Amino acid sequence: MSIAPKPTSALLIVGHGSTENPDSSTPYFEHADEIRRRGLFAEVHCCFWKEEPSMREAMYLIDSDEVYVVPDFISEGYFTQDVIPRELQLTGPTTEVKGKTYHYCLPVGVHRSMTGLILKRAKEVAPGVDPADTTLIITGHGTGLNQNSTKAIRDQVDLIAASGAGYAAVLDAYMEEQPFIAEWDKMSQTPNVVVVPFFISDGLHSYQDIPVMLGIESEVGAAASQREIFRHNPHSLREKMLYYSSAIGTERLLADVILDQVADFDKIHQ
Amino acid sequence: MTATATQLGNLIKSGVHRMGEIEIKIDDSNNRFILHHFEDPLILNDPTFGGLVVHEGPENARDISTYAEDGTYRFTKGQVNLKRGWVMLLRSAEELRLALDQFYPACVGLFLAQQGGTLEVEMLRDKLNRQTGMYRFARSISDAGAQKLVQEVCGPAHQCAKKILWKLDAQTPLEDSEASRFNGIPGNVPESKAIPLLCREACNHFVAECRKAAKAEFEAKNVQ
Repeated sequence: MSIAPKPTSALLIVGHGSTENPDSSTPYFEHADEIRRRGLFAEVHCCFWKEEPSMREAMYLIDSDEVYVVPDFISEGYFTQDVIPRELQLTGPTTEVKGKTYHYCLPVGVHRSMTGLILKRAKEVAPGVDPADTTLIITGHGTGLNQNSTKAIRDQVDLIAASGAGYAAVLDAYMEEQPFIAEWDKMSQTPNVVVVPFFISDGLHSYQDIPVMLGIESEVGAAASQREIFRHNPHSLREKMLYYSSAIGTERLLADVILDQVADFDKIHQ
Repeated sequence: MTATATQLGNLIKSGVHRMGEIEIKIDDSNNRFILHHFEDPLILNDPTFGGLVVHEGPENARDISTYAEDGTYRFTKGQVNLKRGWVMLLRSAEELRLALDQFYPACVGLFLAQQGGTLEVEMLRDKLNRQTGMYRFARSISDAGAQKLVQEVCGPAHQCAKKILWKLDAQTPLEDSEASRFNGIPGNVPESKAIPLLCREACNHFVAECRKAAKAEFEAKNVQ
């Protein structure tokens, strides 16, 4: 979907960020840079929950009277439904706050175009591997705080299973709730397993925690940007060939999904 | 051009030349702004400005400011360990604003809001009471513990150059210390010539330290 230029509006990309892993916020800044280059908005900014600038500092970044807020989050859940609205004082799809009009868009992860990005990532990480002999696992965090947080992944599993992509099985798995990603080999009946982390960044969870759960690493390693050599696929583990991709949010085309969510907001609400 | 960029450009033209560890110069003959670490001497008539790595445009500001020289992650950009050895050439006040917003996130806007009387400061208790997940425990830190942490974590002695504006709560100011007195301007620059780094809310590093201290307080009570 193309988006009409908004030369008097600001785009605010909201992310989680980290005080421990510098790679956590890299994709957000890259998405902002990409959109800024296209000259569609008067200004493009990022803000974070665990990094500077904070969500409450965001209002001091913005000059425009109209602001599109896009959560660069993977699912609708605790952060998009509770934390971000509270921090930005948003009470609905459109809210007036201190003389500015904020439009609150859906998070990128729930957009229908994510299905194509997951399939693209899965093919790139395991080139030439026959999907008929392969289980595709989409993995996320999972949390008891909000039941919606796994919905985006379960939706993608259903969409890919019905897409005719040809995988022997398409499954969901999580770090902190069942089915656990640590049991990837037990849930897979095929010789090949492709795991795509449904996270925005190659940060603490997808680059450091999950590789330990998969058995690729014996202990939590350094951040991706501090490694000299990126991991090489495939990994011969537990009598299977395991292919582990970068987080889906590091896909350059995610900038388009941010713009898609702005366009969808206008279509639905204006 | 955005209003913030226009105001920033005017400030620099009026003689303001320092923000954090960054020296800001106007190069009138080339119609551009030049940024560099204030401790790096700059030779204007040299293509590398005296052996510095030249960056055209604001795009690399985040890369320059992510890690310190020793490779540690600069988790708050107020840290006084910005890498040296670079110079950045910017063609407009808008590019200057973009660069400074990467080096010192939101700090230009915070300063302008303070000057305009619209800056809202967030007290520590409000910040701690909004924490979620494992950081929820940070709210149980005692006032004495929080006061002690300010002196152990904040201020230039602990690598942070921000001027703390917040109190514990509206009635409880910070105890007097080097950290609570610091004016947000590292280096020897008059206040009229610098944009101070303002701390309108405790950073997430401070919140994480509050959580650790609160847990230690809790465990100490249970031992007694």
